[in-house]
Amino acid sequence: MARSLLGTRIRENRRSKGVSQAALAKQAGISASYLNLIEHNRRGIGGKTLLALARVLEVDPRSLNEGADQALVGRVEQAAALAPTITCETDKTEEFIARFHGFARLIGRQFDRAKVQDETLQAMSDQMNSDPFFSEAMHLMLSNITTIKSTAEILSDEEGLSDNLKQRFLSNLLSETERLAQTATDILQHFEPSAQKDGIISDTAPAEAIMENNDYFIKQLEGNFISPIDYVAKQNIAKSDEKETMDALVRYSSIIQKLPIDSFLSFAKECHYDPIKISGKMNVPLNVVMCRFAHLPKRDDIPRFGILECDGSGAVIFRKQLPTLSLPRYGSACPLWPIYRSLSQPLQPIKAFINTPTGERFLTYSLAQYADQNAIGLPARTTAIMIFTPDYEMFMPKSEIALQSNLAVGLQCSVCPRDNCAARRAKYLLQ
Amino acid sequence: MSKSVLIVEDEPFIMEALSFLLKREGLDVATFADGQGCVERIQSLKPDLVILDMMLPNRSGMQILEDLRAMDAFTSLPVLMLTAKGQKKDRAAAEDAGVSLFMTKPFANKEIIQNVHRLLDR
Repeated sequence: MARSLLGTRIRENRRSKGVSQAALAKQAGISASYLNLIEHNRRGIGGKTLLALARVLEVDPRSLNEGADQALVGRVEQAAALAPTITCETDKTEEFIARFHGFARLIGRQFDRAKVQDETLQAMSDQMNSDPFFSEAMHLMLSNITTIKSTAEILSDEEGLSDNLKQRFLSNLLSETERLAQTATDILQHFEPSAQKDGIISDTAPAEAIMENNDYFIKQLEGNFISPIDYVAKQNIAKSDEKETMDALVRYSSIIQKLPIDSFLSFAKECHYDPIKISGKMNVPLNVVMCRFAHLPKRDDIPRFGILECDGSGAVIFRKQLPTLSLPRYGSACPLWPIYRSLSQPLQPIKAFINTPTGERFLTYSLAQYADQNAIGLPARTTAIMIFTPDYEMFMPKSEIALQSNLAVGLQCSVCPRDNCAARRAKYLLQ
Repeated sequence: MSKSVLIVEDEPFIMEALSFLLKREGLDVATFADGQGCVERIQSLKPDLVILDMMLPNRSGMQILEDLRAMDAFTSLPVLMLTAKGQKKDRAAAEDAGVSLFMTKPFANKEIIQNVHRLLDR
């Protein structure tokens, strides 16, 4: 089921400009019936036809393609799957996104928040069931409440209490109320997420939020105008998150020092954005080069690259998503992705084209390496990186692309329609 | 002759409130705040009723109850167990061990007084 928003976007653009299907087809040099198929996403297009349609519609052809926000499609469909009692027209998800992009983004965002909250609740539930602190704190709290309730009832109901007894019970009440307040405070502090403790509530790690807000290219750091320490100090970051944020920015800064953007881009162009060749030419470790691909300026002449970094268990360490490829935050991606294969063959880079169920194709490079190489006697710890780009046509000759075989992968089992997949571990929710 | 109640509770203010309430009912009230030595205290006092907190220092109320039920002299001694652990499994465990009545904290004063009288009048 190859799907794309391209046709829908063309239709919406045409309608918004008040152009008839026949007129657009004529000006673009194709038949009206062919345009009709395109607009209903029954025919894929590219090259000359896309350029012609974009020219007539006076839009950037790339914007039409970028509109194929499959990551958003996946999130909206997953949101629909969470409410099985409500019949959602999931066969029209793409059309909905194209027509009501803001609402679709809102649904996607709410889905993300709900997911984070579900995971937090699950973690809290696990913690409550197994946490001796919580068990003890709840027991203490109920004891506090019992004392307060019982003592208050005595003071309220018992007639003829002596002044001494009244004073005694009032004193008990006050002491126990203070203990209850302390118990409640302790419980809250125990369970509050670290970000909330310092007054910042966010469903995204601060380092990731900073990267996203800057399109993963922080000009102040790239130009060495500011140190990571000063940069972090200027952000409104909770104290508890400062170290994690600092670590991420120091790492980014060290990549900048080893591979200044201008010389990197120069070598990248010369090497056709092949990280292995760039590594050799610039004499910089391959993993550093691959990380550099996550931090490129957003320009029409530079291909877009996303990145996924995980540890040996597959847990996500760092990610940069692209509109057409959504990445998990909590490590439940498709096990067929080359990044996971690289974990079984550290230091051996893997170059592969992957093909998603929605028809997008990406060039990927993956590499796993050992961490803590000097830690004698400890188990070998591995991490892996995968970079990916949908813009390989910008630097790879068509003849070479034609020779590459595709690896059919999914995103997550729950939104992957591929039948008979040996790697499936969860059912497809949209069947 | 008034009947006697032993309150085994490690929270001093709960113990004080309970003690006051039961004395106002004309009962002889003794108190004990530790799981360790509790069975011996019961053996020496031979109360008509024991109000037993489940979570006590050194030895749990459940262990004390099991010890008591294993002794011929206390197989039918009324034991009212008080606990903040009100889960089904805790109640079931207490009932299996032979508790006479299981009450969860927080309780209403009237309710516990009624239950004490009910158990003493059996």
